[in-house]
Amino acid sequence: MRNGPALVGAVCIAIFVAAAVLAPVIAPYDPTVGVLADGKQGPSLAHLMGTDLLGRDEFSRVLYGAQISLTVGVVAVFFGLAFGSVVGAVAGGAGGRVDAVLMRVTDVLLAIPGILLAIGIVAWLGHGQLQIMLAVGISYAPIFARLLRGTLLALREADFATAARAEGATPARILLRHLMPNALTPLIVQATLALATAIIDVAGLGFLGLGPGDPRVAEWGEMLTDSARFLQSAPYLIFFPGAAIVLSAIGFNLLGDGLREAIDPRLKR
Amino acid sequence: MLLSVRDLIVRFRTHDGTVYAVNGVSFDLEEGETLGLVGESGCGKSVTNLAVMRLLPQPAGHIENGQVLFNTEDLTKLPEASMRELRGRDIAMIFQDPMTSLNPVLTIEEQMVETIQAHRRVSSVDARARAIELLGMVGIPEPAGRLRNYPHQFSGGMRQRVMIAMALALEPQLLIADEPTTALDVTIQAQVLELLQRLTKERGTAVILITHDLGVVAGMTGRINVMYAGFIVEAATTPELFAKPRHPYTVGLLHSIPRVDAGPEEALIPIEGVPPDLRVAPVGCPFAPRCAWRMARCWTENPSLGPLEPGTTVRTSGPEATHRVACWNPPTADEAAAGAPQRPGFAPAEPPEAAGRVAAGPGANRLAASPESARDR
Repeated sequence: MRNGPALVGAVCIAIFVAAAVLAPVIAPYDPTVGVLADGKQGPSLAHLMGTDLLGRDEFSRVLYGAQISLTVGVVAVFFGLAFGSVVGAVAGGAGGRVDAVLMRVTDVLLAIPGILLAIGIVAWLGHGQLQIMLAVGISYAPIFARLLRGTLLALREADFATAARAEGATPARILLRHLMPNALTPLIVQATLALATAIIDVAGLGFLGLGPGDPRVAEWGEMLTDSARFLQSAPYLIFFPGAAIVLSAIGFNLLGDGLREAIDPRLKR
Repeated sequence: MLLSVRDLIVRFRTHDGTVYAVNGVSFDLEEGETLGLVGESGCGKSVTNLAVMRLLPQPAGHIENGQVLFNTEDLTKLPEASMRELRGRDIAMIFQDPMTSLNPVLTIEEQMVETIQAHRRVSSVDARARAIELLGMVGIPEPAGRLRNYPHQFSGGMRQRVMIAMALALEPQLLIADEPTTALDVTIQAQVLELLQRLTKERGTAVILITHDLGVVAGMTGRINVMYAGFIVEAATTPELFAKPRHPYTVGLLHSIPRVDAGPEEALIPIEGVPPDLRVAPVGCPFAPRCAWRMARCWTENPSLGPLEPGTTVRTSGPEATHRVACWNPPTADEAAAGAPQRPGFAPAEPPEAAGRVAAGPGANRLAASPESARDR
């Protein structure tokens, strides 16, 4: 790929994934155990990113936080992709009244800001990782539904779709075998871009106190909330988890843009 | 009779209003016969055949009236499931652009095997063997290896060969080829046409060849229907049509193509004006605004397709088919050869005043340039 920004994005993601996978190996300390006497220490050789109020190693917590962010983000986007694709495929495949009803519901969901929708769903379903994944996933579903439906509508008029009909293929077969594989590329690009916002949304929910609920769990958003009070005395406690969120989000964004550029011939330089 | 289309009327309901795409078309086709459907873009030739296949774009397009009798069965009344069985098996289609009518994400093998298995209970191995046989038949070298390729790995001509192989896979009785060579290089065109002709002749497949290119139908078809604005305006056997064109539009078409054997003085005569707006319900003869032979009644009455000499017994198909024309004032043989009316003192009739369609005719320019309208401005 002769695409600088996308390469930077891919490297960011690689570091991020490596941190998540290798956290138990790299992390110098247990992220849940702290020594109260060592609380709020600045970065040093012993604690690369310092320690939090409870004396837990900030570096270890950021590493373990990558695990949470990555799993929650990926699973949430996967949920969104699954819900959205089913709705989009049914709407784009069936057309007519079914399409109209499904798309109006989608419009209503799209009208509500994603994070607000997610907050509502967490408030309704209660705390917990699965709930966050579902909440963020559902708030993304309308985008995927619209995207897939639009792509399918355009593809339905393609010559090869008419040709398949002229050969006597059934509507279901045309949708699943001929149209869907052709509609996947924009979905994959959108999913990569959605990962970036999903990580921010998950952190945002954590920051608002709607995180996993277990105070021992290292979650970047909750780490920000916990340290916001010490912004002046211990700014590094905000800096490192914040940087982790920003870098991973930028990574997915650059990668998504790069993918779109590589796949969409109109954007080729 | 293999196919008999009776009074077919196709309309499209669009946001801009109704489009009068096909306005009462009738034609017959015998087993193994080849019929050319000629006309310029938008004259309804493709729509006629999509209607036969019941593949009109939904929800806009629909068959308003008429019958499509295929082996005496009316296809317009067939349930969709039976229609689906019939498509590909009994009537197959080849489309204009081989670059887009193959699915880019599936291999040739997947697409061919799928077509075969959609209609026949055969194992994948047998379907694959049949696909290899078919590819070899249409002249694709190394068919077994090429089967695993994707469409983008084929050239345009090769893709059209693949399309022909797929269309003939189930030995259909009728093959509808919609501008099969328009997207190809001229040298490849001849090869593909020759292939199409040989394979359909060997199998006794009837062919409807849709084209705007008179050169293509000349060598390929036994009979030609000339279409204009959703009507068939002239029908004759191919030699008869080229030798004695009798509709002003056909005469115009023949005079607008360059001929190698034309003398130095013979100029190309373009057909003036543009085809009518199909969103306006047809009144009178659709060709009247562009016609050099038009008379007063051409503006108000649409002539029906009938034999040149009234009272002749009409044969609608086969090599002996009657030459029929839809015209109040057909050009004589001399006029057809010259491409313009030769009668002393004859002038094309002016459009009737205040008629809705005046604006579409060439007379509109003259009206706009008249002193009265200049003063108004």
